[in-house]
Amino acid sequence: MKKVKSRTAAVLLLAAAILAGIVFFITKLTLNGSDWAAFSANGNVYSGGMLATGTVYDRDGEVLAYMNDGERCFAQDETVRRATLHAVGDAQGNIGTGALKMFSSDLAGYDFVSGTYTVGNRGGEVRLSIDADLNVAAYNALDGRSGAVAVCDYETGEILCMVSSQTFDPADPPQLDADDTSGVYLNRVLSSTYTPGSVFKLVTLAAAIENIDDLYDRTFVCTGSYDVGGDTVVCSGTHGEINIEQALAVSCNSAFAQLALELGGDVLSNYAEKMGLTESFEISGISTAAGSFDIAADGSSLLAWSGIGQYTDLVNPAAMLRMMCAVAGDGSAPELTLKAQERSGLFSAKTRLLSADTAAKIREMMSYTVAYKYGAENYPGLELCAKSGTAEVGGGASPHAWFVGFITNTDRPLAFVVIVENGGYGSAAGGAVANAVLQAAVNQ
Amino acid sequence: MELLEQISKALFSNVSGSAPGPLDYITCVIRWILPLLAVIILLRCALSMLRGKPESEVWGWLSLPDGTRAPLCHWENIIGRSKTCDVAVDVPTVSRTHAAVIRDDKGNWRIINLGSKGGVMAGGKKVPVSALIHNGTVLKLADVELVFVALSPEQEREQAMRRSRPGRTYRPGATFLLLTMFQLLLALQFCISMKDDLNLIVPAAFLLLTVLMWLYFALIRSFGRLGFEAESIAFFLCTLSMSVVATSAPESLIKQLACLFAGLVGFVIIGCYLRDLKRTADVRWAAAIVGLLLLAVNVLTADTLNGAKNWLQIGGVSFQPSEFVKVCFVFAGAATMDRLYMRRNLLAFIAFSGACVLALVLMSDFGTAVVFFCTYLIISFLRSGSFATVFLSVGGAALAGMLALTMKPYIASRFSTWGHAWEYVNEGGYQQTRAMAASASGGLFGVGAGNGWFHRIFAADTDLVFGVICEELGLIIAVLAVLAIVLLAVFAVKSAATARSSFYVIASCAAVTIMMTQVILNVFGSLDILPFTGVTFPFVSNGGSSMIACWCLLAFIKANDTRQNASIAVRLPKGLRAAMQGVRG
Repeated sequence: MKKVKSRTAAVLLLAAAILAGIVFFITKLTLNGSDWAAFSANGNVYSGGMLATGTVYDRDGEVLAYMNDGERCFAQDETVRRATLHAVGDAQGNIGTGALKMFSSDLAGYDFVSGTYTVGNRGGEVRLSIDADLNVAAYNALDGRSGAVAVCDYETGEILCMVSSQTFDPADPPQLDADDTSGVYLNRVLSSTYTPGSVFKLVTLAAAIENIDDLYDRTFVCTGSYDVGGDTVVCSGTHGEINIEQALAVSCNSAFAQLALELGGDVLSNYAEKMGLTESFEISGISTAAGSFDIAADGSSLLAWSGIGQYTDLVNPAAMLRMMCAVAGDGSAPELTLKAQERSGLFSAKTRLLSADTAAKIREMMSYTVAYKYGAENYPGLELCAKSGTAEVGGGASPHAWFVGFITNTDRPLAFVVIVENGGYGSAAGGAVANAVLQAAVNQ
Repeated sequence: MELLEQISKALFSNVSGSAPGPLDYITCVIRWILPLLAVIILLRCALSMLRGKPESEVWGWLSLPDGTRAPLCHWENIIGRSKTCDVAVDVPTVSRTHAAVIRDDKGNWRIINLGSKGGVMAGGKKVPVSALIHNGTVLKLADVELVFVALSPEQEREQAMRRSRPGRTYRPGATFLLLTMFQLLLALQFCISMKDDLNLIVPAAFLLLTVLMWLYFALIRSFGRLGFEAESIAFFLCTLSMSVVATSAPESLIKQLACLFAGLVGFVIIGCYLRDLKRTADVRWAAAIVGLLLLAVNVLTADTLNGAKNWLQIGGVSFQPSEFVKVCFVFAGAATMDRLYMRRNLLAFIAFSGACVLALVLMSDFGTAVVFFCTYLIISFLRSGSFATVFLSVGGAALAGMLALTMKPYIASRFSTWGHAWEYVNEGGYQQTRAMAASASGGLFGVGAGNGWFHRIFAADTDLVFGVICEELGLIIAVLAVLAIVLLAVFAVKSAATARSSFYVIASCAAVTIMMTQVILNVFGSLDILPFTGVTFPFVSNGGSSMIACWCLLAFIKANDTRQNASIAVRLPKGLRAAMQGVRG
């Protein structure tokens, strides 16, 4: 019997296997439980494939989306609904980058102890960094035109305003035709890329500051166009003899075409990449669209065009916003986020996009540009640094209007990007929208 | 007024939408009480079963040449030179395993010559094979003389009375009361979760379960038995089963209850049958034949249900023969000590096991085939102690498996999603990914019985029960359900130390092996940790055949429980009850 008795230990091996398996499972559950719970087939959280739980607030606690009797409901006011649509998402899940989709694991209210259970099945909460009032200001300023507006705090990285137009009322979603091209489901801030036009001169400028020793001693002669090996780069005006500061302020194509040709495609491409314009990055887990910069042959007019933001250049608005944060903040940008943060931006990871010196010089010149060209009196109460862009899109259409920059008001460290599709001149169309949003932000 | 509004706004964080009602708060509290009760119930069972060292019984003595008396602690004792013998006689002329001294049900002793070199003499006569021995018989192993001293009936009674009784510290009645609370709270929670369309069968089924449990308690107490831990565990698991069935298939609640009753009857009958070792051992061949017949009929005539051809229809009742073959397998696999040493080869048992596994593979019931194979491994190791047999078997099975895979590639496709369930969420990983989502959703305390969604997934009440329990009752109770089976296994191993016959040791170990293998395949298969094979969770999964078979297997565990008056499956010494009443009176 002694022998048989000792052999029964073999049974304990199976018991040990069970215990090991349970430990393994609980470890997996601890690591992945949040993702498992947010699985779109989980009937505790989803209904008919749609998130059926959770509440989305703006940064001030205004309710942007909630569940009522099994129905997804949105903000009370229609303008707020339209202005926050792309940040919040829609009930049908067509807007892939909305909070209802991207933050579903938070909205599921999952935690290890209580799973997705909440008394009365109320689900989780997400507080967005978005301020509904600023979104409304931006939405109204766009006035029905297509475009994208984003504002963020360049110290904390919180995105305070994110509007994409065209938009719709999520309480009364449209039935779109299969061949619809309005792009209402697209969040243009995160997922679109645009020809940058003159705002790309900031990249060429950064490259020139660091690579051309006598940049500040130079004078550029603008005759209204610039010849490159038989081709002509047309300028927006005839600027005569100007220095680099003035060249940026008047956005002189002739001057920047010369700089681009001198720097070469490789250097420009390096700076576009270094300043984060060609890569996709994540904002609270949402991937942005990557821009692009193709290297044209040295000495060609295409290279010149690429240096002034035409040719095949494409830039994503969010990437431009991050670049503005870096220029405003000593060359490094905080991690952009769409969730309201409790902690201060001091602790968030920063990405260095350019050197502190270069950033300081660009800042100075952008400030000069506002004073010299756009007129500080047009932006009362704002200590504005900005650059406009008028991106030719061809096909006889009006150019896209860009207006990017930041304000250095002590208590409102805000960076912004405005694009008005086919809006005409950047400083006119874009500047007005930017002014409306920034005034709303500063006067809160 | 404004202040009040502010407060209510703060309380409900200004969400419009329905505020939780009082019933929601009752559910919330029940969610916490159920795991607490479950922990206490299982802890009481565990402490009662595992506390203290195993107390050996003494059935006789052998007087050794040096004047000492070696106790015979089992009904089957091996004598030899080896230290692993029950009575070690360290004399060079004695063989390593020389002889066996064996008691039968009636108290008659025999000595068996295990092919020793030096020979065995009993009462001066040569013993070529075996001979009856009595109190005072002089045994001679080679040149060593031993005197056999038997235990008198009075001594046996005295010993039985001295043994510790179960249920002293952890009263089984109290455990059953806690279980009753558990059942009633579950019934209440179901009434809350069903709200408007209250299905009265659900609370009725829980009440019937409670009644059935107490009837069993009364019956067993009337037999004078006091140990209820294994049954408490089984009833706990059955309660979880009722919860799973109530949420996913309330129409089969009554059937499940009926099968639970049938299982209890089977448990008591087999338990009583197991009291007598001789008749138990004699049924071996019959069990093997019945098992093979069942499988043969199954292979030839069964209906295919969900890919596996393991269902039989008889007179409108469908059942799974393979479940009952498990009971036959245990009977056929167990063996008394004399057989272990007299016929060392396992050929007959290997052939029988091979036939069973082959039949199950033919039915495409791979999960059950694995269960039988693992049980075969444990039984053959317990019988032979030979790692070679185990390794050869595993190797052979692996080879056969490879061969099957190359000849029938569609079998491999069944396992292709294993470990990659999240890449095939709507194909091969459909059930597993949802099981993981459900188990995460429940957290530690569950979303409340009847409030889940996972029960709608196909096979939620059978192959995916772990997910259902995790979701509705929480991770704590789900893990406790698994630990409950582990507890039975540890108890079976502990009981082996004081076992009377190797038959009971092997049988109880085989029974817990079947249960544990099923738990491993069921739980870890449904969570994509192992390939998903579709095996039932003992006592918990919805299924009549499985429920009955599990209760029958439980009888083997009880047959090895030799604490005083513990088990229906162990005969009391003659006159013990009268003697005890005398002492008490």
